[in-house]
Amino acid sequence: MSNNKYRILVVEDEHSINSLIEAILTANGYQAILAETGAQAQIMAASFQPDLILLDLGLPDMDGQELIRLIRNELSIPVIVVSARADEQDKVNALDLGASDYVTKPFGAAELLARIRANLRDCMRNREKGMPEEMFHAGELRIDFGKRRVTLFEQEIPFTQTEFNILALLARHAGKVLTHETIIKTIWGGSDPGNVKKLQVNMANIRKKLGEKPGATRYIFTEIGVGYRMLEEEN
Amino acid sequence: MKQNNFLTALGIEAATFGVCLFVDFFLNMKVLTPMIFILGVFLIARYTEGYFYGIAASIASVLLVNYAFTFPYFAFDFAPTVSVLSATCMMTVTIITSTMTTQIKRQSQMKAEGQKEKMRANLLRAISHDLRTPLTSIRGACSVLLDDGASLSDEQRQTLLTEMRENSDWLVRMVENLLTVTRISGDGGVRINKTPVVLEELTESAVSKFNRQHPEHHVRVEIPEEFILIPMDAILIEQVILNLLENAVQHAKGMTELCFYAHTTETEAIFEVEDDGAGISEDRLPNLFSGYLGSEKTPADNRKHNMGIGLSVCSTIIHAHDGTISAENRPEGGARFRFSLPLEEKKDEQ
Repeated sequence: MSNNKYRILVVEDEHSINSLIEAILTANGYQAILAETGAQAQIMAASFQPDLILLDLGLPDMDGQELIRLIRNELSIPVIVVSARADEQDKVNALDLGASDYVTKPFGAAELLARIRANLRDCMRNREKGMPEEMFHAGELRIDFGKRRVTLFEQEIPFTQTEFNILALLARHAGKVLTHETIIKTIWGGSDPGNVKKLQVNMANIRKKLGEKPGATRYIFTEIGVGYRMLEEEN
Repeated sequence: MKQNNFLTALGIEAATFGVCLFVDFFLNMKVLTPMIFILGVFLIARYTEGYFYGIAASIASVLLVNYAFTFPYFAFDFAPTVSVLSATCMMTVTIITSTMTTQIKRQSQMKAEGQKEKMRANLLRAISHDLRTPLTSIRGACSVLLDDGASLSDEQRQTLLTEMRENSDWLVRMVENLLTVTRISGDGGVRINKTPVVLEELTESAVSKFNRQHPEHHVRVEIPEEFILIPMDAILIEQVILNLLENAVQHAKGMTELCFYAHTTETEAIFEVEDDGAGISEDRLPNLFSGYLGSEKTPADNRKHNMGIGLSVCSTIIHAHDGTISAENRPEGGARFRFSLPLEEKKDEQ
């Protein structure tokens, strides 16, 4: 897959992190544009039309959450939040505000690149709305969205309506984190807090049916306190 | 607190009055009345804060003695000299006692603060010690790579870089622990955010994080099959599990098996991390969770970082959850760390 055309705007005020991310991106065939303040980021987002934004929430001149809102009004490109672990709540807020994913500092190059790849793909898929994917394929797991069939090691696994809907939602955004709130809104509509437990119970059943064992998970990963992430699809 | 002071004062004063009534009318020993009232006033001054309640009680006592226990009984009769003298006596007792009480309180407060200061100094010393070792190693490796990188073999370069990464990973975890400590024991005390967490999801998240950091160690996991919700701050409890697993990797010499168990009783969830390594030396057991012991004795050995801070962070987190944590040596060899979390939220926390 050639990434040459992808342009990524990096919004980060710390120089050492900035140059690290730039090195990782250029070494992997992306074009990196750097912005050190929120104001700069807005101008650059408008003039360079990046394909994706990497955003550090702690900016010197404005609140990162505010910047997400401003960007969301103008552009429909993925925004990946880069945050420290201590800002757990900020991260969830950012995701609920319209950020598409996050990486926690300190991150490895592989993790950063995986997030970028998954979110770019997710975004491209959304743009080509005309022809949604028919099949999902990762490891030994296959999901046929049209026939609503799931097979693991060629064996069909029966799922309830709700379970299948959740699984399909995760699979359609494979590689990307989906927050509890996002899943609940899509599956049940509305955001009744009692639904969190419903989601947790359904997820437990899905994991059981897929034979997931804690510590040796293959397909569905729990991002504790945030949501769930499905294994990235193979090409 | 104000309410308490008022109730204490009122209670003691009422008791004094009652005792005097008894002594006066049943035993007929009037001589004792002023003494009993002075005792009452003394106790009030001792067990309430500040001067107000003591002085109020002295005035009340003078009036009561005058009203009930001196001729004419149950009527006021102010003979100025007697009233003023007895009032002066009581006031003096009150003021001196209150002053002394306040002083004692201030002194013990200062002592406690001194102790806290000492603990903080110990913590800082332990941290600096723990940070210096990996930093020295990273700094050294960088210089070598920058200055003599060309003359090193690929293998040597790889070793240096791998060590740099391991050491910085360790620093990251350390800093995260420190942040947690400041978050929990910072100003205003505990600020944890409990939500119902699925045991299986917690285990999955913690163990897979551990596997990523230590792919060379396999963790055997045994948890109940049922769907179990436990109220907790998941990020913090995950950190406890990671610290305990990490502790085994650092300290359990000769470990071949590392296990994570969890089960629930009626009232609590119990988690256990077991290894079959060298165990914990007896002299360290009692102070394991209070931290920092031995940081001065331990030589600055690159491979053996002191996890004192990691374990004391565990204890801080678990206590903030109203849980318990303990460590023991297993009879069959190796160490066992166990912590429990209450399944029901305490009512006063909601």
